[in-house]
Amino acid sequence: MRQPYNSDQHGSRLTNVLTDVHFWVPVAVLIGGLLLLKSIH
Amino acid sequence: MAPGAESAIRENSRPRKLQRLGVLSGFAAGAWLGAAEAPTKLVSVGISPIVISLIMVIGVFLARWSLPALILGTSSIRADLRRTPHLIVWAILAGCLWAVANTMTIFAIRDIGLSIAFPLWNSNSLLGILWGVIFFKELRDAGWRRWTGVVGGALVMCVGATLLAVASSTQAPAAHSLRGVWAALGAGILWGTMYIPYRKAYLSGMNPLSFVTFFTFGELGMMAALAIGYLGLSPLWLQLTMAKDVLFWLMLGGFIWVIGDVFQQYAAKYVGISRGIPLSNTNQLWGLLWGILVFGELRGSGASTYLQVVGGSLLMMLGVGAIAFSSAGGKEQTQWKEAALRESRRYSIAEDFVEARMQGEQIAGEVRPPRSPLDWILVAGATSIFVLFATMARAPMMSFHSGPAALLVAATFVLFLVCGVALWRTTRFN
Repeated sequence: MRQPYNSDQHGSRLTNVLTDVHFWVPVAVLIGGLLLLKSIH
Repeated sequence: MAPGAESAIRENSRPRKLQRLGVLSGFAAGAWLGAAEAPTKLVSVGISPIVISLIMVIGVFLARWSLPALILGTSSIRADLRRTPHLIVWAILAGCLWAVANTMTIFAIRDIGLSIAFPLWNSNSLLGILWGVIFFKELRDAGWRRWTGVVGGALVMCVGATLLAVASSTQAPAAHSLRGVWAALGAGILWGTMYIPYRKAYLSGMNPLSFVTFFTFGELGMMAALAIGYLGLSPLWLQLTMAKDVLFWLMLGGFIWVIGDVFQQYAAKYVGISRGIPLSNTNQLWGLLWGILVFGELRGSGASTYLQVVGGSLLMMLGVGAIAFSSAGGKEQTQWKEAALRESRRYSIAEDFVEARMQGEQIAGEVRPPRSPLDWILVAGATSIFVLFATMARAPMMSFHSGPAALLVAATFVLFLVCGVALWRTTRFN
């Protein structure tokens, strides 16, 4: 069933993503990986 | 039997059934991920490893859209997405992690050789266990026996993987440099961390087949960016046109890899990442079987090499057995439910939906969305592209033993059928 779109809900979802440690650990590892790749190439 | 008692028995046996299903999915993943190496072995022309990786990812992209459309239907994927839209971020992130890790393995093999690089990046299973424990309450309240089984099994598998990698390393490394060690370790860290999004998606109730369709955007986008960044657009295009004879084999490798990865996703869903990753890492064993029996690798090697192969294989099987017999018990499963509850509350996902999906079921009254013409367009489109490249493919001239190949293909398909039927019967691919 389609959920009604709500900009507040969208904003809080974004906040939840950006304050989630599950998000920042992979992001940090990805940035580290790209830097490492740059240095070894 | 009273309906209540019947329901209680079902509730008690369901987690055990799902655990067995997860272990079986891990074994099937190992076989298919290992078989994915076979078509790439047919390619011996001088193409840049980054281009090889990019072409495989194009095959992966086609498979990741056509297989879910065929099995699940795009309407189901859309329905999944409406419930958990935040997971697109994690799916794309996981795809990017995969692409960077895969590129690093190319540099690692070049600098330190497969024998040192493979065991280093296989450490991803140990990191996966760590993330599983820290973030998803895996192995909590599991008891020392299960801890020993999982951690000990993963360590024994790493030793077995080292022996196999040493034996299968047919050429000396170009240079023993610290740079290669960092590249291999980096790949292990990136791949180990890639399982955080996997587990998060499945604790939130997302279907693995939905997750992989978005994962592939990160995978193809990052791989294309790396290929253009390292080679430049014109040289990349030139290499792609030069490689037209072998495009099919590489894309086929990508397609087979996706089937293995789908099983890997179900393993991560039903037994967690601490157990699912080591079980999927048996792909090294299958890859070696293809190499030795079908492509005649290690021919003329000394007895010590064969001893390493037998010893490494036995150790890997021992480790796999220890993990397979360390399934999560009732207390640990309660901890998993708490981890799922965190996701449910944080992202406002209905608790009954998350609970049902953890059990591989639909919520009461849920109707599976009907198939749409788009499903068949995607399947037909992907099939046509594969057929087109197959017509351009050139049969490679190389040593190939068809008897063992037929046996391995048969064994791989038996696992596919057994696991596929078990997944369908138990979960309807939910």
